[in-house]
Parts: sequence; C-alpha cells; structure tokens
Amino acid sequence: MAEEENKWKEAELRRDDIKKLLENTKQLAEMYSEIIGIKKTGWENVLKAKVRKAEKAERERQNG
Amino acid sequence: MAEFQALLTAKAEWKPHQIAKAGDLASLAAAATALAETVKTTLSLASAGMEVVKLLAALQNINPLLMALEALADEVLKQIRDLKEAGYWYLYVDPYYEGNVTPQQKYNYGFEVLRNKAGDRIWELKDGSGNWYDTEPGDPVPTLSQIKDKTAKPKYASPRKLIPGGYDKDNPTLDPLRSSGKGGVSKFPTFTTVEVINEFVKAFDDEGDVPRYKLLGAASDAPKAGEVVYDVDGNAYTGWDPKIDFGLELFDKGQASEDGSIVKDYVAARKALNSKKTVGKPNILGNTKFDGGSGAIAIIIASGDFQSFYDVFNKFSEMFSDIPEFASDTGKNLLDALTEIVTPNPVTVKLTQVDTNYQSFVVGDIIGGKIYSSMGEITEIVEGSVTPTSMKGRRAVWKTDDEGERIPIMEDYDMNEIERWIDMEVVLNPIRNIDGLNPWITGDMVLEMEVRGTSGNSEIVGDVFPNYVFKGNETTELPKTSRIYPKVAIVAMEKLMVLPESTPPDFGGIQIKDIVPGWGEFFQLLENFVLQLKGMITDSGAFIQDMIDMIKQVQEFLEYLIKLIDEFLKFFQITLPSQGVYALYIPNQNGGIEGLKSELSSAKGIPDLGYAAGILFVGTEADKLIAGGGSKNPIDLLALVLGLLDSEEDAVNPAGDSTAADAAAALGQAVAGTDKDAWKDKSTSEKIASLLF
Repeated sequence: MAEEENKWKEAELRRDDIKKLLENTKQLAEMYSEIIGIKKTGWENVLKAKVRKAEKAERERQNG
Repeated sequence: MAEFQALLTAKAEWKPHQIAKAGDLASLAAAATALAETVKTTLSLASAGMEVVKLLAALQNINPLLMALEALADEVLKQIRDLKEAGYWYLYVDPYYEGNVTPQQKYNYGFEVLRNKAGDRIWELKDGSGNWYDTEPGDPVPTLSQIKDKTAKPKYASPRKLIPGGYDKDNPTLDPLRSSGKGGVSKFPTFTTVEVINEFVKAFDDEGDVPRYKLLGAASDAPKAGEVVYDVDGNAYTGWDPKIDFGLELFDKGQASEDGSIVKDYVAARKALNSKKTVGKPNILGNTKFDGGSGAIAIIIASGDFQSFYDVFNKFSEMFSDIPEFASDTGKNLLDALTEIVTPNPVTVKLTQVDTNYQSFVVGDIIGGKIYSSMGEITEIVEGSVTPTSMKGRRAVWKTDDEGERIPIMEDYDMNEIERWIDMEVVLNPIRNIDGLNPWITGDMVLEMEVRGTSGNSEIVGDVFPNYVFKGNETTELPKTSRIYPKVAIVAMEKLMVLPESTPPDFGGIQIKDIVPGWGEFFQLLENFVLQLKGMITDSGAFIQDMIDMIKQVQEFLEYLIKLIDEFLKFFQITLPSQGVYALYIPNQNGGIEGLKSELSSAKGIPDLGYAAGILFVGTEADKLIAGGGSKNPIDLLALVLGLLDSEEDAVNPAGDSTAADAAAALGQAVAGTDKDAWKDKSTSEKIASLLF
C-alpha cells in the first residue's frame, strides 16, 4: 500500500493500460484468425468432398 | 520577448480526461471493441454453421477453445468499458506553452556594463588623487561601501543601453550573469518545481471554476420551475428552474419515477435536461467543496538544464499522446513551442548598407540589432544576393542657362558610385537573448558581436551559453585611432522562410488513427457480413467458395492488424526513465479537495529545479468498485496502470494478462484431462492440434 506520508518519488512511468489493451486485442486477433483458419480448412474439405461426390455420381451415371 | 508577453494573461485550467475515450486511443478502443463484438457474433453462429457442414463434426471438439476466445473477447470489452468509465480531471501546468501559466520574469533591465575578455564586469575606481582608473582582469569586485561612497562605479557601455541582465542597482556587487544555479539570469524562461506545485494547489481555489450545465432545448419543453428533477444516479432534487444554469447533470426521471408499469427502468426512460458547458474543477455531482473521497496523481517533469528537460518532456509527450495538449495533430503543440525555444527556425534577413570600409559579413559572424536586441549567427550568404546598395541622392548643380545666368538645378546622383555599401541576404540561426528571441526590425542597425562572459548554470554541462556584446564597445570613448569598429549594416527586412522538411522520426509521428485507418469501419462491415450469413447458410458450392474467399480476406486483415499492434506495442513499451520525472501518488482519501491541497503542499522529496512542467490527475470516489474491487476511485486504477503502485499491489489487478489464458487452461484441463500448467504452456496451434487429432 502507499506510504502514510506521501512523498514525491522519481518514477518510471508506464502505460500498462494501453499495453494491456493492445496485447489483449492482438491475442484476440491471433486466436480468431486461427479459429477461422480451421473453419476455412473445413469449408475447403466440404468443397473437395462435394467435387468428389459429383465426380462419383457422374461416374456411376456413365457406368449405368 | 513576445513569448513572455503571450503568457501574461495565462491560466492553467482543469479539463476532463477518460482513458480510451480521447484522441488516438479512442480509435484503438473502437477497433478493439468492434473486433471483440464481431468475434462474439461469429462464435454464436459457429455451431449453426457446423451443423450444416457435417464433415466438420470433428471440429466440435474445439468448443473449449471457442469458449476461451469468447472469454477473451469479453475481457477486451470489459477492459475498454473500465477504461472508458474511469474519468479524471487533469490540470496541465506548463510555462512553455501559450495560454497556460505565467512565469515570473527572472531578469531585470539595467544599463549595460562593459566586460573584459574573461567576461568580468569592468569597474572604475577612484585613486588617492581623485582620478578614475579601470579594474583589470582578476581584480576583486568593489565592496558595497566603495560603491556607496562613490569611489567605485560600474563602467557603462557608451552610449548607454538598457539590456536584460544589466547593472542591478539594488544588488550591485552580484553579477546578473552569475550561474543561474545561484540566482543569475537564464536565457530560457525558468519555472521551478515549487512554482508548478503552487499552481497545482492554486487551481483548486478558483472560485468561479465550477462545472456549469446549460438547458437543452426550449424552456417550454423542460419541466416547469419548482418541479422535481433527478441527478445521474436517479436522486431527486428540488429548486429546478429552466432559466438557471446548474452545476450538475439533471434528468426528468429518476429512481422515484419507476412505477413498474409505465416507467420500468428510469435510466432508459429519462431525458437529459441539460448538458455540460464548462468542466470546472474537481467536484462530486457539482459540489466542489465536498469532503468525500478523492485522490490525485501529480507528475512533474523537471531538470536543472533546459536540454534535459526538453528530452524528458519529449518522451513524456509521446507516452501521453491521448491528452489533447500532447497530440501532434492540433497545429502548433507543446513540443513545437519547446523546440522553438531550443532550436529556433533559421531566418533570412536582407541587409542593406553593409559598409565594406569595416568589412563585409561572412559565415560564422554573430550579429545583433542595436535597438531591438535581435541576435543570430550567419550560416549562409545567399548566393547572388550581394549587390551594390542603390543610394540615390539629390543635389543642386549650378548650370548656365540660355541667357547666361547660373542657376541651381536639382538632379539625382549615385551616392554609392564606388560601391562602398552593399546589400546582401544572410541566413541566420537566431540566438536567444536573456529576454527571449527578438525580431529583426526594419531600420535597426546590426553590428558584429563578440563573446564577453557566459550565462546559465555553470554547474551543469550543456547549460552554459556565451554572452554576446557589440564588438569594440569598450573602445567607443577612446581616440578614433584606438577604436575597434565592428562590421555594420541596416536591416532592410526579414524574409518569410519556408520551413525545412523534417527528418523522421518526428514527435507524434506514430498515431493510431494514421496507421490504422478504418479499423472500426472494417469490423463493422465484417459484423454486418456475418449477420447476413446467418440466414443463408447453405451447402451450395458457390456459397462455400464465397465463404472461403471471405475468410481469406479476414485472415489477411487480421495479419495486418497484428503487425500494426506489434508496431504500436514497441512504441508503448517505452518506460519513461525515472530521471527527471517526479510522481506523487495521493491514494483515495476522505479529506476532499482541502485534503488534496494539504497533501500536495506538504509532500517532500522533490528538489527545486529550474525548468519544470507538470500534470495533475484528480479522481473522485464513485459508487462502483473498480480496480479489482479494491477502490471506488479511478485514480487508483490510474496509479496501477502508470506503474506507480508497488509490485505486491499488482496482485489486485483484476484485468490480469492471464484471464483468457486461465480460461483456456481450465477448459483445456476439463476437456483433455491434461495438466493445467502444461496446457497453459501450449501455443494456440498446439491446443487446436491436440484437440483435433
């Protein structure tokens, strides 16, 4: 806690408010980016599967 | 001199400040808010999207990570809300910026006394026969009784000239150019740490500096005089009159208005009756003489030499660029004012009638105005500017007319036929005089100058400056053949200079709003896009391709954002060195404003240094607990973020760095059954990988 008698001190000032906000925002951006990256991979897999399915259906149709 | 004049009516004023709601930080806060809200919106759609896409079933396992992400988004939103709600008053005291405080004049005008080459004043002493003779270098300064007895007198320059730092009749034995550390004059305006503290204390006493609120809209639309009105907390007040300005924000509805049917929530239903016209000094609901909780943080930047003060001030300004006075986009700012004092912009002066009989000026000459005391060093003679002075005279010439009569005819003639006098343009680096920077006035005579002694603080390296006098001024009363004549000219005019291009990095060169234009707008668009998707998730190939493309764009933007944040973090990683920065933290106390004044006045531990400026933050106690529930005064939160609290108190910080990580760890442990610490150490990619595979 602060001293009972207040005294001037030479102080190394910081701006932890800004730093913390920036660090949290950065972490948020990183995590969000990775999550939507996974979603993107998922959607790409879906797309590939759809193409494969369409090709398979086409082959089956040709084979009668 | 002008810079001092501008300060004569100056006064430091209280202003409001809210972290993350002012200046550049507002943009950052808006962007972070938008990102956090977008993340939350997207996450709420995530499960719906995954149900449609059956092949993504495995991804359901990342739910813990999604929850951690949501927790982090909540944390960011909470942090921004806390910072926005934490409001302060701040008072900026700076003698080096117009419109602030009035520095006391630290010099007197007196007749110029001649100085020898060592810089000592020359005295005239009366010998036993009643003859006067001059002191030699090394001779002692006459005593006060010698001066009073008129057996010693200062040797004035001839003709006599009043100068700042001239002979002081009240203290004749003390040299005005003695070290400024011992009370001598300084070429920079001094404002001491004690004076800054006095300004802090004085600012609480301004009777008229109270908050004022003005009626919103027409008086006929407001409640009638005498009706009950309410403050921001819903408390009722009598005495309302729409024609009078009051000292607090008022509303038409309050707690008593809630009846459960028509008015269920008075905050949502109420209408503001007035808006703030002036901020006023620190107050609680308009009462500036409150006895309740209040706290303060005073920061003083101070140094014994001006250059060090300037350097520390520069860093301080960068750290606090969210305070309008330090913002670099509001025209001439504080640092510009300081820079102008330390390194004034060069000027171009047109000189005329440079008398070549006494030599022409060359680069390196120090010249000064005889009447207006301007001073500067010639750094350049403008090429092609040296031309003979056009000096047309009119004279009577006797001529014989047709009738043989001799009559006088007036005609023009060239007074400068042998080109003794020339014009030239010179570029000058202005030199500060003891009374500041003085202008070059048309018609003033300029003369070559030389060094005679120094001014400033001799005990501080870099704070000693040459004292210039007109060359040969000690010989003006000698026979003509013994006189030393300085180079001489007349000021024709000062030319407007185009300011030089600055060399980066500039102060304030990095600004959130400049390097991250449209953060807020981007996330707004993104959020809208996500909302549009909500109703149209299908498994069509075209839609899926659109979705993939959109995700790629978002990822690219996020990469850009992360890069920018890294840049910004480098900028704010600066810790202001303690040297030259003095802080006083007065935690929340119950003595009201009087208590703060008393604490400010009595606090010890700051040396009285010559160059100082300061900022005082004041916070008053509110109803809600903040700073981790440890205080109701936002000043304690400010002390925390500025690093003014001891390290063991950091534990009270509720918005710790580890909140999101802890959430992830806890969730990870629950899902994966792994050790919490081991999970915590994993990177996000590793967490995802371990969950997926």
